[in-house]
Amino acid sequence: MQYRHVQVIDGKGALRGIAVDGNGQLYAAGDSEIRVFDRNERWPTSRPAHAVAVASDGSVYAGEIGQIEIFNGAGKLLHTWRDEKLLGRVTAIGFTKDSVLAGDAADRAIRRFDRGGKFLNNIGKDSAVNGLLIPNGVVDFGVDAQDTIYAANPGKHRVERYTAGGELLGHIGRFDGIDPAGFTGCCNPTNVAIRDGIYTTEKAGPRVKAYDFSGKLLAVIATDLFDANCKNMDIAVDARGRVYVVDTVKAAIFVFEPVKV
Amino acid sequence: MSQDLTRRTVLAVLAGGAAFLVKKANGQIVWQVNASRCINSRLFEAGVEACNLCTTECVVALSAVRAVNEYSKCGRCNICPAYFNITSAVNELGQPSEKLCPRDAIARKAIGKVDPEDPANNFYEYIIDEEKCDGCGKCVMKCKEPLGLGSITLRVRYDKCVNCNYCSILKACPQNALMQLPIDQAL
Ligand code: SF4
Ligand code: SF4
Ligand code: SF4
Repeated sequence: MQYRHVQVIDGKGALRGIAVDGNGQLYAAGDSEIRVFDRNERWPTSRPAHAVAVASDGSVYAGEIGQIEIFNGAGKLLHTWRDEKLLGRVTAIGFTKDSVLAGDAADRAIRRFDRGGKFLNNIGKDSAVNGLLIPNGVVDFGVDAQDTIYAANPGKHRVERYTAGGELLGHIGRFDGIDPAGFTGCCNPTNVAIRDGIYTTEKAGPRVKAYDFSGKLLAVIATDLFDANCKNMDIAVDARGRVYVVDTVKAAIFVFEPVKV
Repeated sequence: MSQDLTRRTVLAVLAGGAAFLVKKANGQIVWQVNASRCINSRLFEAGVEACNLCTTECVVALSAVRAVNEYSKCGRCNICPAYFNITSAVNELGQPSEKLCPRDAIARKAIGKVDPEDPANNFYEYIIDEEKCDGCGKCVMKCKEPLGLGSITLRVRYDKCVNCNYCSILKACPQNALMQLPIDQAL
């Protein structure tokens, strides 16, 4: 499998998280706002935005310090879930069929809430000895069609699979500083996205890869396009398989497309 | 400016200089590495070779400079790029087979709740043996962001430094990174 680089999108300010909705609309979290790219809209958030995600009903969730803000598809603020303890620093948001998941980087855990914001359980906290080992300051995860959660566990050089209830099912990935099938450095992958497979980003040096669900490396999507000092490069994949990656230093989104060979 | 004012200014400067020299002679003014200037720890220098002038230029045998790990910043990683040569072959434990430090001056110890089966599940403390370290800067360069967390920096150690009038390392340092500070600010 191969990818080609097709586009660079100006982030229009600092970039932290990105998301693509079912129609291919791209959203970004950065500074104190959510940016909606094709519509050229900026929705102010009350605190700096670290993550963005779009639910199946079209509502848009912004992850912040101590809270999640929920907007309707037109950018009107509907709800704020505030919990300084459970939502210490929300760096990723995702959804199962009946719940909302928030990655809390302050406490290195994924929190699961019902759709009304009632806390249900933790995922990845202290599981299998010390749980998510996150030296890089960002918890990130994706969810597949069966509601299995794939969490980046960079300190262990793995992507771990969890049930929504928090049970650790297994993992893919291993450390390797030479073989690109492994994850290198002290702590990688930092970010993960799920679509038809597992997509990851690494730091030092920046690298984007695609794996199948068994952990087989399918493609090294990109390495040398990004600023060497990038880290915690958020990643999203749309329904057509286009891969969007944040360059946190250049404040730009790089877009890659699968190439049929 | 009146002549009197000029005289007073000159006297004040001389008095300040004399006070500085007295403080220096008493060991109250000391040399220290400015980590934000040193190539090995300065951010946005990804990929460059470590500078070892702190080892080679110091007048003290083995140098008065040491690598120091600030534990409150350290990620306690399983694969520490300052401890391991992360581009060496992976061994049966899933770890790099070679260490980075040429003097084997860094020790590693699992801490907290320990899983003997899987080293990836543990936290580690990395302890620098200051009798062995010569401040070559290799580990500092690898601990730097974004590869590491920047918890290891080079520091002048005052039980070793003879507090030269003009630090010999500073004469050679490409970054002008050695500075004189009151001792309470330098530790
Ligand atoms: S000589 Fe200067 S740049 Fe080189 S290691 Fe020492 S402080 Fe750093
Ligand atoms: S500075 Fe050099 S000698 Fe000292 S611990 Fe680091 S790598 Fe070893
Ligand atoms: S002042 Fe002298 S002894 Fe101290 S670090 Fe500089 S060269 Fe070495």
